[in-house]
Amino acid sequence: MIVKTLLAALVAGLIAGIFMTAAQELRVVPLILHAEEYEGKEPAAEQPAGTETQQHSSLGQSSVVGEILSALSPVTPAYAHEGEHEEEGGIMFGMSRFSGTLLANLVAGAGFGLLLAGASLVFNYPITLRNGALWGACGWLAVHLLPAVGLPPELPGFPAADLHDRQIWWIATIVLSVAGLYLVVLRGEIAAKIIGLVLIAAPHVYGAPQPSDISSPVPAVLGAEFAVAALATTLAFWIVLGVISGYLNDRFLKSA
Amino acid sequence: MATTTVSSVPLSLNDRITAGILALLIGGFLVFGAGLANSAVLHDTAHDVRHSYGFPCH
Repeated sequence: MIVKTLLAALVAGLIAGIFMTAAQELRVVPLILHAEEYEGKEPAAEQPAGTETQQHSSLGQSSVVGEILSALSPVTPAYAHEGEHEEEGGIMFGMSRFSGTLLANLVAGAGFGLLLAGASLVFNYPITLRNGALWGACGWLAVHLLPAVGLPPELPGFPAADLHDRQIWWIATIVLSVAGLYLVVLRGEIAAKIIGLVLIAAPHVYGAPQPSDISSPVPAVLGAEFAVAALATTLAFWIVLGVISGYLNDRFLKSA
Repeated sequence: MATTTVSSVPLSLNDRITAGILALLIGGFLVFGAGLANSAVLHDTAHDVRHSYGFPCH
C-alpha cells in the first residue's frame, strides 16, 4: 500500500515533468535565451569567476550524484567524462541543453509529486480526481506564488541578493506557507485560520533579501513577461500534477 | 471475495505517517538536487528549469 502510494506519486510527477518540458519550450525558455543575449553584454567578469568557485567547492557532491546517474544513463561513460570537464561546469554527460532540461524536469516533477503525496498523507486528506486540481493549485500557491511575492522568478542577468540568503528565505516561506494553507483550508476552527494567515504573512513582513543595486542590463519588459510566463507555466504544471495524482489514486489505490 | 476488502482498509496511523514522511524526504531530496544544490554541473544541467520554476538561482 505504501509502495503503491509512492509509486503513484512518482508516476504522476514524471508525467507532469514531461508536460512541463513541453510547456516551458513555448514561452519560458525563449525568454531565458533572449535575456542571455543581454547578459553576455555585461561587465562579464563576474559570471565565469562565480561558476569556477562553485565548481571547486562542489566536486565531491556532484561526482557522487554523477556516478549514480551515469549508471542509469544511456550515454557512454567516456562521453559523460568529456562533458564533465567542460569549462564552467557544463551540462551533465555532455547532453544537449534540451535533454538537461528534460532530465531536470523529470527529477523536479517526481520530487514535487512525492512532496504533494507526502503532504496529503501527513495531513490525512487524500488526493482524488475531484480535488486534484485544488491540491495542485494549493501546491502552486505555496511553492511558487507566495515565495514569488518576495522573490519573483528571475531571468539570467537580473540583480539579486546573496544566493544563500535567498534560498533560506525561499525554503522558509514555502514551509510556512504550507503550514498556513493547511490551517486555513483544512481546519475548521476560526483560531486555526487566523494563525494560518499569520504564518502565510510572516515571511513577507520579515522581508525577502533584496539586492542593494537593482540596475540590470536585461530590459524590464522581458522580466515582466518572464515572471508572468513562469508563474502561468508552473500553475499549469501543478494542476496537471494534482489531477494525475488524483486519477492514479482513484484508479489504482481504491479499486486494486 | 477477500481481495476486494484488503486495500479498502485505511492505512493505520503509523503507516500513514511513515509513508508521508518518507515521501516528503525523497521528494525534498529530488527537488533540492534539481533546484538548489550548489554544484556547477547540476546547475548548468538544470539551468532553464531553475529559472522557470523561480528557484533562487545564480
